[in-house]
Amino acid sequence: MRYVIIGNSAAGVNAGEEIRRKDKESEIIIISNEKDIAYSRCLISRFLDGRLPETQLYFKTKKFYRDFNIKPILGKRVTAIDTSGQSVNLYNGERFSYDKLLLAIGSTPARPKICGLDLEGAFNFYSLEDARKINNYIKNVKKAVIAGAGFAGLEAAYALRKLGVGVTVVERCSQILPNQFDYISSELIREDLEGLGVEVILNESLTSINGCGTIESVTIGEDTDISCSMVIFATGVKPNAQLASEAGLNKDRGILVDEFLKTSNPNIYAAGDCIEIEDMNTGKRQVSATWFNAVLQGKFSGLNMLGIAKRYSGLVGIQNAVQFHRLGAISFGMTQVTDDDLNY
Amino acid sequence: MKKLYMRIERCAGCKRCELACVEEHKKIDGLNPKTRIFVESINDRPVPVVCRHCRDALCVSACMAGCMQKDENTGIVTNQGHEQKCVGCWMCIMACPFGVISLSDDEATINSYAFAQAVKCDFCPDQDTPACVSACPNEVIEVKDIKEEALCGM
Repeated sequence: MRYVIIGNSAAGVNAGEEIRRKDKESEIIIISNEKDIAYSRCLISRFLDGRLPETQLYFKTKKFYRDFNIKPILGKRVTAIDTSGQSVNLYNGERFSYDKLLLAIGSTPARPKICGLDLEGAFNFYSLEDARKINNYIKNVKKAVIAGAGFAGLEAAYALRKLGVGVTVVERCSQILPNQFDYISSELIREDLEGLGVEVILNESLTSINGCGTIESVTIGEDTDISCSMVIFATGVKPNAQLASEAGLNKDRGILVDEFLKTSNPNIYAAGDCIEIEDMNTGKRQVSATWFNAVLQGKFSGLNMLGIAKRYSGLVGIQNAVQFHRLGAISFGMTQVTDDDLNY
Repeated sequence: MKKLYMRIERCAGCKRCELACVEEHKKIDGLNPKTRIFVESINDRPVPVVCRHCRDALCVSACMAGCMQKDENTGIVTNQGHEQKCVGCWMCIMACPFGVISLSDDEATINSYAFAQAVKCDFCPDQDTPACVSACPNEVIEVKDIKEEALCGM
């Protein structure tokens, strides 16, 4: 029996671990396009501002792969899944057959489609590699604009502030952390941010990035220009579903899975940021890019791949914990009033 | 694996377990030691609540730093003494179904990476018997050695 897992983060690694706990014999292979061993994406801001050295970002050590007899194939991109031949193809022509396959292929930062994205100084804030690039670039940066005031955006804002860079955060919603917290708690965090000298602009978005070769300013809304030499995009992520849809698996926004985390192909499972599954709060299908959900889905998919049917009891999409500066916060359940809630 | 069992009908609510826990963890917590066991009032009766060291511990799943770990041999769940360090993100507090993880009061003394640290029952590694068990005058808390596989759910 050979288990192939694509993705070497929360969902993928935990699935591998869970499979090995129950099955000592089978071969387990983890393939990832990132070259680093499993690191915690949530910690990259702490790496950026120097609170954590790179070695402390790894939530599994190199020893883990040895102890659990999992073969990591890192820095190699999977380009196609051959569902009839039960194999995955890598960009360099290598081919791995599988008996059971897990797609834990995560998500991709969603950048707004505006002018100037190709200028030097525009970054995502999603991977360790992004944090390294920002780190290398930041020495001459006095002022940065961050698009998006979700967790990633604010983590970046606090980190840059700590490094002495002037920061403006631009959020298109009427509050910061619109997907994580309600208005009142978001205001507490905003006060804390502004106390550190971060400028927060709400109800606006970037319309263009201006400059010649390197960034000189950004335009916000109709005609407000802010001069800056760096722009960080933290405007959310979208599930990586393309590989699955090219292989003929059902997808909507994310890869569609049933309550056993199985895709429309009986030998292929999916877990983590890349899937779309029913949320137990709302009963609606949702995508979620949180660590905790990804870990649990990884574990459950591992068990189901082993044939130990374990129903995933439902995603709790909105469940967040965070410590910004001196402010700790946890949220549960639905934090925003929707139009549906008002129809009573 | 060792687990703490409660004979709650014997609990008089004296909170000596809490005091003993604070005293025991002075050396880790520094100036503001905190209890890891909590005597709660449930239906007007005192009930000591402490970490269950769950089999499939949700705090371990939630920990994004890989710091909260369950020891394969002892079954003890703790964020102490691991290669990865607590970064103080409070995902474990969020995930714990029993509400027995809290945060340290002042800036962490153990590592400089975090503003504060998650604090929870560590089964008193320096003692043969956990401090709360020794301190209880009514023998409410008991250490039992059980096979974890026999438990379901926890």
